[in-house]
Amino acid sequence: MTTTKYDPRVLKAPHPVPGAPDNWKRFFSFNTDAKVIGIQYIGLSLFFLLVGGLLAMVMRGELITPPADLVDPSVYNGLYTMHGTVMLFLFLFPVLNGFNNLLIPTMIGAPDMAFPKLNAAAFWLVPVFAVVLLSSFFIPGGPASSGWWSYPPVSIQNPLGHLINGEFLWILAVAISGVSSIMGAINFVTTIIRMRAPGMGFFKMPVFVWTAWAAQTLQLIGLPALTGGAIMLLFDLSFGTSFFRPEGGGDPVLYQHFFWFYSHPAVYVMVLPVFGIFSEVITVYSRKPLFGYKFVALASFIITFLGLIVWVHHMFYTGTPQWMRNLVMITTMLIAVPTGVKVFAWLGTLWGAKIRLTTPMLFVLGGLVNFIFGGITGVMLGTVPIDIHVGNTYFVVAHFHYIIFNTIGFGIFAGIYHWFPKFTGRMYYEGLGKIHFTLTFIGATLNWLPLHWAGLYGMPRRVASYDPEFALWNVIASIGAFMLGVASIPFILNIVSSWARGAKAPANPWRAIGLEWLLPSPPPAENFEDDIPTVISEPYGYGLGKPLVEDEEFYVRRSMEA
Amino acid sequence: MTSTRKAPKKRLPLRLLAVILISTALDAAMSFQVSRWAYGWLPVPASTAAPYVDDLFSLEVGIGAFVFIGCVGFIIWSLLFSRAEKYDESDGLPIEGNTKLEITWTVIPFVIVMALAFYSIQVNEKLASLGPKQKYDVALNQSPDAVATLDARRDIGPIEVISRQWSWEFVYPDGVRSSELHLPLNQRANFLLISKDVLHSFYIPAFRLKQDIIPGSVISYSITPTREGRFRLRDAMFSGAYFSNNQTDVIVESEEAYDSWLTQTAKRPLVQGLSPGTPLYEKRLKDGDRGWATVPPAPPPMVNDPGNPEAPHDA
Amino acid sequence: MTSTNADLPLKHVPGHIKHDGHNLTGFIIFLCSESIIFLAFFVGYALLKITSPEWLPEGVEGLETRMPLINTVILVSSSFVAYFAEVYLHKENLWGFRALWLLTMAMGSYFVYGQYVEWSELAFSLSSGVFGGTFYLLTGFHGLHVITGILLMGLMLARSFRPYNYAKGEMGVTAVSLFWHFVDVIWIILYVLIYVWQRTS
Ligand code: HEA
Ligand code: HEA
Ligand code: CUA
Ligand SMILES: [Cu+2]
Repeated sequence: MTTTKYDPRVLKAPHPVPGAPDNWKRFFSFNTDAKVIGIQYIGLSLFFLLVGGLLAMVMRGELITPPADLVDPSVYNGLYTMHGTVMLFLFLFPVLNGFNNLLIPTMIGAPDMAFPKLNAAAFWLVPVFAVVLLSSFFIPGGPASSGWWSYPPVSIQNPLGHLINGEFLWILAVAISGVSSIMGAINFVTTIIRMRAPGMGFFKMPVFVWTAWAAQTLQLIGLPALTGGAIMLLFDLSFGTSFFRPEGGGDPVLYQHFFWFYSHPAVYVMVLPVFGIFSEVITVYSRKPLFGYKFVALASFIITFLGLIVWVHHMFYTGTPQWMRNLVMITTMLIAVPTGVKVFAWLGTLWGAKIRLTTPMLFVLGGLVNFIFGGITGVMLGTVPIDIHVGNTYFVVAHFHYIIFNTIGFGIFAGIYHWFPKFTGRMYYEGLGKIHFTLTFIGATLNWLPLHWAGLYGMPRRVASYDPEFALWNVIASIGAFMLGVASIPFILNIVSSWARGAKAPANPWRAIGLEWLLPSPPPAENFEDDIPTVISEPYGYGLGKPLVEDEEFYVRRSMEA
Repeated sequence: MTSTRKAPKKRLPLRLLAVILISTALDAAMSFQVSRWAYGWLPVPASTAAPYVDDLFSLEVGIGAFVFIGCVGFIIWSLLFSRAEKYDESDGLPIEGNTKLEITWTVIPFVIVMALAFYSIQVNEKLASLGPKQKYDVALNQSPDAVATLDARRDIGPIEVISRQWSWEFVYPDGVRSSELHLPLNQRANFLLISKDVLHSFYIPAFRLKQDIIPGSVISYSITPTREGRFRLRDAMFSGAYFSNNQTDVIVESEEAYDSWLTQTAKRPLVQGLSPGTPLYEKRLKDGDRGWATVPPAPPPMVNDPGNPEAPHDA
Repeated sequence: MTSTNADLPLKHVPGHIKHDGHNLTGFIIFLCSESIIFLAFFVGYALLKITSPEWLPEGVEGLETRMPLINTVILVSSSFVAYFAEVYLHKENLWGFRALWLLTMAMGSYFVYGQYVEWSELAFSLSSGVFGGTFYLLTGFHGLHVITGILLMGLMLARSFRPYNYAKGEMGVTAVSLFWHFVDVIWIILYVLIYVWQRTS
């Protein structure tokens, strides 16, 4: 690609930046500035964390006693389905895209995303499918209630026979979400490939950018397969086809392949950027370079690759032939290796460090401990004979909440605190942050540790009622869950009050190394505007005494003047 | 890599080596203990397959505990000894990596997980020989036993396991129908797993056995129970509104008891079998059909032995 | 990464100029991703065709292949026409480009028409088991892409009449003709899977 013919008008034209920087209304408008979009994503997704959390609270309320007494079983099924869907598609993916928007351009020194309008459009699809999804609570028959997997034939039974039913809206919402994610992924990958600052070779990119790239690559490969499966499911549900209906010669298990071909890689889409956040945060608060930076960076793509060939581990007991189970067991276990490389690199970074236990660092260390735990139970699940026993029990639910909330959730909180000063221009309150961490860590552990045993003893997941022998584990879990609900209070309080009246943040409060910290807080609309720095060093040069970019004083001075 | 300030080169001091050795030994001892406890975290083993699964589980818990305790121990150790003082603004040791170490911690987990995978494959093959499993596609108008090949080494069976929304029905070769599954001790039983509507899963925790049942196919599966008692059989693949009630019991009894049950039951008339969703659904209709949409339960199966759902179970 | 130009006299690189030329990169990424939906459909189709206990619905013998073959030939040749249209554009022969571009559109439209005729004459429907479902899903989804391609070509054609829009039009033309080749390749695979590979039971 040669791009020699520049239109001189582009250079001269002022870049359209709607809304003054201090105008809060821009967060509610079709704004094309990646930093505005990033905050829009994060704000909206935190709201949906509350929605998903509220659903979880009702579920845990139901599960605190063995019989189905709080809600009707059919309602419980809808609740957990919507809980999973809201958490994944309205909380987790959007919040990570928020980080991508904030961090990718600033970390690679790009003025904006490659396609700002596409970026904004991708964001505004989120409220659209949120409305589609949540409106299903109010239609006759209620929302989709066959689990976030939506396995046929149960998902296409359509008891009321209406054309517009919960399942229909669910598929529609997931499809729109897929379109939005693809738009985002194209944008992020193009931006990373083509818009890096001069001198920023691939091995000078921060690990967050690596992980975001690896994750978005997975989106590009996996999402279309899910979309394909969703289209076929929709046709089966509404238009009388029988792709997955045994009566017409279809195969329900085929759907599972479509679903997991995407939804297994999806878990790495979710966790990889969090590995990036871990790498950024640990180095700053250890004041050390990342141990084995190149290994850590490359491991992301090894995970991407392996992540694409293990989906059958969700289907060990569906009648999968033995050879395939054995093969997938091997590939599944292999993922422990690149992941281990990252874990050990973080541990190595702690060696001889000068650790500061700020809120982000606490969340990262807590998340890391939980991740090792959840990863190990993952390896157990990857072992066919054990999965045959614990598959579809609370052991699985505990495994993935250990990662999805106790690791990824923690990483997201860490990221929010760590970059809060940069993108809002205000400092958060450290004390409230630590209260938030303490409550969250204890609540999360109480919530999810005991449920492993419930699963091992044979408590199936997705049940509204259960045998009394599982009661004790569930009582503890529910208490932990309610503690998590309480933990959201100091968090919300912290974010709202410090944004409104927190101390003004300096450009680089943590003395961190990275392009984003050479920008004023908050950064101007075009980041470096007409002075894009030339990168000369690897990231994380703590203690090495090397400048990150050419002419570093210029940028430092300018960031402080703003 | 050129760095202006190189980390001071030093050999592993003896003290450090001793600390590493001692903590590794401690870690190993603790993990060994945890791996012993792991046996107690599972229901009583009641099939020939169970001991293999339990041993594998215990091994993995041991390895997992070793990794977990090691990593967390290191984090705690760092938190104790590598904290910055309150006003200390200095940097840590500027170590950028150590290729040898990095290769080590790539290779060791690789070896561990591959060893684990190959051991598990062995267990897998063993389990397959104890209770082979084969899936056959059936068309609408075919009968399951016409399609499936039965386990040639079965002692009893084939027992048809028919799952519905939401009931279990067991049909014995001589035509006896039951809502509970009776099995003779130490006899290899062969099942034909059939679903009449959606996906279900045939899950008996005490047997460490789980197999999804797929409409449009029939699965031939075998198991040998090794302990007398009453064990839970749970549907483990979400199957709709009353999924959580879709449970029944497996009764493992001596051969004599089993034989007499079979002959006694054959004489009993057909009655409505266990269908836990039905009363709940009727109650729901009576209360005004509130709640979210669900298909009605399938009519209860007609069986010779409706079972005793109130009886306490062992696991 | 060609846009970080060393010959720029500035000390720091200005931000805006780097925006150029991303569109094609983005579009290629999109096409790669899009091809996976088709791949998913193909794999699903093949698996169902191999494993389904019954394939052809009652009273259906198989598919007629002659008409579709003509259609195929036309669609595939249109790809070459599109290519030469692009060559003209590079030579800045706008009228040559427009003529061939229009011809491509015509051939594409003929294909859609042929597809329509075929559909209206078939003895089975979308709900005739997996056979009917997969047939209409695959051909229909592909047909949508053909129609999209024709519309996009129309857009490019219209743009070519806008003065001073030459550079932008060219980028769009490259992208659209890429899309067109993509749609053609997909069709060839589809043709093999659906028409050439017969299962008669
Ligand atoms: C979101 C993030 C996430 C992540 C990162 C993972 C990571 C892993 N998961 Fe998990 N998983 C889920 C989310 C996630 N999972 C979800 C949501 C489900 C359920 C979905 C549903 O059913 O609804 C699920 C379910 C699931 C199953 C299916 C269970 C079943 O339904 O029967 C399996 C089976 O193999 C599995 C395995 C693994 C493995 C092997 C890893 C590995 O990647 C873990 C690797 C990490 C480590 C191993 C720790 C660090 C490594 C070291 C310290 C090195 C040394 C270690 C050893 C030598 C062991 N997961
Ligand atoms: C990102 C993903 C994510 C997250 C963060 C969570 C977080 C939580 N999850 Fe969830 N969960 C899933 C994804 C997630 N989950 C998925 C995919 C499934 C599978 C679904 C399926 O089987 O199909 C699942 C299933 C699942 C189950 C199993 C259901 C079943 O199988 O029957 C349970 C049960 O305990 C549960 C509980 C919880 C709890 C207590 C939390 C807590 O961590 C939540 C903590 C909550 C907050 C921090 C918010 C606090 C807010 C409030 C207290 C409300 C206050 C309200 C206002 C102020 C308006 N989840
Ligand atoms: Cu163009 Cu900024
Ligand atoms: Cu997985």
